[in-house]
Amino acid sequence: MYGIQSKRDLALELQSQIPILRPSIHTRRAQIVVKFQDLYGFTVEGNVDDVNILNEVREKVRQQGRVWWALEASKGANWYLQPSIFEGQSLKASLKLSALANAITLKKLIRKGIPPVLRPKVWFSLSGAAKKKSTAPDSYYNDLSKAVEGKVTPATRQIDHDLPRTFPGHPWLDTPEGHAALRRVLVGYSFRDSDVGYCQGLNYVAALLLLVMKTEEDAFWMLAVLLENVLVNDCYTNNLSGCHVEQRVFKDLLPKKCPRIAAHLEELDFDVSLVATEWFLCLFSKSLPSETTLRVWDVLFYEGAKVLFHVALAIFKMKEEELLVTHHVGDVINILQKTSHHLFDPDELLTVAFDKIGSMTTGTISKQRKKQEPAVMAELDQRLRRLNSIKVDDK
Amino acid sequence: MATTGNKNINSKLVLLGDVGAGKSSLVLRFVKGQFIEFQESTIGAAFFSQTLAVNDATVKFEIWDTAGQERYHSLAPMYYRGAAAAIIVYDISNQASFERAKKWVQELQSQGNPNMVMALAGNKADLVDTRKVAAEANATGFVLQLTCLQEEAQQYAQENGLFFMETSAKTAANVNEIFHEIAKRLPRVQPQNPSGMVLMDRPAERVASASCCS
Ligand SMILES: Nc1nc2c(ncn2[C@@H]2O[C@H](COP(=O)(O)OP(=O)(O)O)[C@@H](O)[C@H]2O)c(=O)[nH]1
Ligand SMILES: [Mg+2]
Repeated sequence: MYGIQSKRDLALELQSQIPILRPSIHTRRAQIVVKFQDLYGFTVEGNVDDVNILNEVREKVRQQGRVWWALEASKGANWYLQPSIFEGQSLKASLKLSALANAITLKKLIRKGIPPVLRPKVWFSLSGAAKKKSTAPDSYYNDLSKAVEGKVTPATRQIDHDLPRTFPGHPWLDTPEGHAALRRVLVGYSFRDSDVGYCQGLNYVAALLLLVMKTEEDAFWMLAVLLENVLVNDCYTNNLSGCHVEQRVFKDLLPKKCPRIAAHLEELDFDVSLVATEWFLCLFSKSLPSETTLRVWDVLFYEGAKVLFHVALAIFKMKEEELLVTHHVGDVINILQKTSHHLFDPDELLTVAFDKIGSMTTGTISKQRKKQEPAVMAELDQRLRRLNSIKVDDK
Repeated sequence: MATTGNKNINSKLVLLGDVGAGKSSLVLRFVKGQFIEFQESTIGAAFFSQTLAVNDATVKFEIWDTAGQERYHSLAPMYYRGAAAAIIVYDISNQASFERAKKWVQELQSQGNPNMVMALAGNKADLVDTRKVAAEANATGFVLQLTCLQEEAQQYAQENGLFFMETSAKTAANVNEIFHEIAKRLPRVQPQNPSGMVLMDRPAERVASASCCS
């Protein structure tokens, strides 16, 4: 997703590289960097090990698909859409029990990954996007698209600037058709919520949503539910204040969950937000390989924004030993970037994120956010006042 | 912060300036010797490192190329905090970008490290040459306008303790030079070696070719 390449080369690259993957020459070729196309059409660079991992991931995705189909066969096609235990107050005890069982099954299942073919349907219902859409008129998205056509605002200008810079080289996103679809989703949303308008970073998020959801309209509603319900408020508005809050919460969590790393980085005078800000604003889409990103999003849409902390902490945790022997800020950044770019195995990341990092409830995270809010507001306010008080010298 | 050890200086450098002024292009030219029209857009800031040998020391720059819309400026303090140097970039063909540059200078003066080495880069200097003919032909005064801006920038830099260069990421003109000049001006921690502080008016003495920086 970060590897950029002209799309004409994609197919060629894929064909010419795959034959070298025979195990017998595996070790000899391990150092050779190859370019290949991943599950969602992104060109990635990696060594032969990475290609093998991706092939294993493909196989695991297939197996996971069989698990989901089997469940549909035994429980009914939309079993996971049953009223959740939290809404089921009036249900009969037996029904409650089955709902509870389903909820437990579902949580585990989702952490193991939603098969790509089911993603559009499962995301749409579990995230709340379906419900959000159902409260609006059927023609909402089409009407919106028509109404905003041809309008020029600061948001549309920025969107137009960013379209060719969003995953350049992707075989669909970087075509006139892909640009036009992404544009309609982003421009439409900029009119739906004028406080957000358009914020850079959303281009990457919306682009991936389009790739997964297949239709613009569903991608639009996913973006809406993400910004309006899943993530904390004001991540993308108002000086990114919500993002500042998340960063402070993250800085508080690191010493608790990874005390040795936190102490070492403190010594290096390294501010973890230097790398984590992009993770949170792009929801890892610019840092992790596509299937790994989408596995994070699987959980994000079901369990909520706290998942971002789990994953961010896990990336640090996975490289604990390496990070502890760094002497320079540059080395820390290189390790983290290299690590995230090569996390082709989603299970490796998610196992650390949930098993090793340990549980954090949405309640505790919310409390932490509340605690940080006043400090963030004061800081942003102070900066603004300082900037305004600088008198413009007419030299 | 510039830290030393065996004359190895690690120094954090931040680029600030209006969108489109050419910050990313300057960094790409300096670090990789390339010029690319459509780069993937950066969220927050992109990190690069590059080492330079200057006189008595090896300077390793940790470069933060900041990016983004106005709302992203609230993140800027995290990138310039503890920075030993800053390059404030404007586009010589865009007066508004010069005004924005001045604001960044003021923010750094009031908030940044007081010993920060600051450079003002008037980027896209190549536009002067390519448009000169056209401008003379239709007498738009474009060249005159650029010349005024250059003098204004020079004077502004002098008054505010910055050094000024016109650069072009496209032709590579003055790109290595501006980083070299910063490297030379970085304060050395060793007190017996204050040379970094007194090189104010000497031109960059080593004109490095683009290929040396890959
Ligand atoms: N002619 C010319 N164009 C430049 C130069 N530097 C950058 N550009 C162009 O100006 C635009 C913005 O450059 P970019 O580096 O992305 O600016 P940034 O927003 O400050 O990072 C791009 O289209 C570049 O190709 C230069 O020195 N000369
Ligand atoms: Mg840039």
